[in-house]
Amino acid sequence: MTSHFFLLEAMVTQERLTWIEEVLKFYFLKLYPDTLLHHAKPTEVVFTFLITGDALYSLNEEDKLPIWEIILTLPSVKIILDRQELDLRGISIERLKMKNPEQVIDHNSMGLNGQTSFWKDVVKIARQNAEPLPSTIGYLQLESPYMHSSGLSTLRCLAAAIEVRASIDLYCYLDGVHLGHIHQNPIECQNIGKGLEELVDRAEQRGLQFQMLACGRCAAARGYSTWDDGKGITVSTCTIKPFRIRNLNVIIDQFERNHVILGKNVAYFKLKKSSSSSQYGTNDKDSAPTVTILITKSPYGTEHAFGALSFAVASAFQGIKTQVVFIEEGVYALTGTHHLGEGTQYFNLQEVIAAVAESENLHLYAYQPSLQQRRITKNKNMAAVLDIGKTELGQLLFHPSGGSQAGHQRVIFF
Amino acid sequence: MTEGQQIIHDLSDLTCTNLMIRLKILLRKTPPGSAIEFMIRRDQKDTIEVPFSRTGYDVRINRIDINRYQVEMKKNDEGQQQ
Repeated sequence: MTSHFFLLEAMVTQERLTWIEEVLKFYFLKLYPDTLLHHAKPTEVVFTFLITGDALYSLNEEDKLPIWEIILTLPSVKIILDRQELDLRGISIERLKMKNPEQVIDHNSMGLNGQTSFWKDVVKIARQNAEPLPSTIGYLQLESPYMHSSGLSTLRCLAAAIEVRASIDLYCYLDGVHLGHIHQNPIECQNIGKGLEELVDRAEQRGLQFQMLACGRCAAARGYSTWDDGKGITVSTCTIKPFRIRNLNVIIDQFERNHVILGKNVAYFKLKKSSSSSQYGTNDKDSAPTVTILITKSPYGTEHAFGALSFAVASAFQGIKTQVVFIEEGVYALTGTHHLGEGTQYFNLQEVIAAVAESENLHLYAYQPSLQQRRITKNKNMAAVLDIGKTELGQLLFHPSGGSQAGHQRVIFF
Repeated sequence: MTEGQQIIHDLSDLTCTNLMIRLKILLRKTPPGSAIEFMIRRDQKDTIEVPFSRTGYDVRINRIDINRYQVEMKKNDEGQQQ
């Protein structure tokens, strides 16, 4: 039984792999040191890395391979690789596999179409962790199709979820709203819009639900919202039929449920339910999994950082315990003093951070090693963003503040 | 604009999350004891009324049309001490 997993599809930098290694060491050394003893019985898999797409390159690169080797020396760690994507990229993982044959899995489960499928492995693991049954698997899409292969991964993942008889939710945010554009007509790859419509039919035939929700703000910015009733319902003439454009709060409503939510780069950590867990006197919001958002990109080059913070604010305002960690290039949001021209109606990211920093259910953190690596310091006015190191990051991921009765934590990389 | 005249921001185009962020920024820039005034829609009113009232703000709302509300908001004494 897998307890925790990382699903990694984007390129993995040495920095990212290093902090992942550190949080795993924290987990085993500080929280479960007994598992490191020689006489300890081999346990079931505790951490699974599900690796596809460009993240696979990290398994064959000189600067990252030693880190993977250290990670694999930790007890109960397994890596499941996407064979199809390995072959497509011509990546050899023989060195790693020879040393760790039991832990490095590069053969995937068989799908209903008779072909092996990495995503079948992913949804099986997601479903193991799902409660209550019958389960739903959610997927958060942040990127547009065709420019990014994640659109195709989403389609494959959702198809695999239906195969294991899970209902599916697709949440489209930022450029992810383009997944639902009508009249897609790619010549040299699979049609994502058509694929989604086919999945709706397939889900229906099996008595499963499939809802697709797109963020209203993101859709309006991209020209999708052709009619708005002013009460949160938006109708678009340029999306496929099952696509629903709704206020971000409607997407966040889904995050109050307890299902596993996947994405291009996410993690799932099982938590001990807090002792106050009881059927009486429980606030519904306490049963929502804690959300940890990792802001990994610089603030203004793309919409990622602003989108991440908006998402976190929406989540916290709806009562979900939300942690934001500025990490990797995300720390640029905290350095220097940002100015936007006088009289503008827009705001810079530091203004947003300062305004929301004291909000209920929202905690902001700056990962110091990322600042140090770039030889930059945090703006002193950003005092509400608390400095954390490796140990504190481990604590946030495995012991989020305030406890939760959800039994797991969602980690989303932006 | 004459001295003392209040700016009434039209925030009715903002999504609920962006409205919350905008209000927090405006409130931070407002001198202690002063209020901000703005126009919003009904669904926005439902989103902001309780959270701000609960966390130390006086919120006064006047309905001026079917789906249009004028809101005056300022930090109350309790909020000032926080």
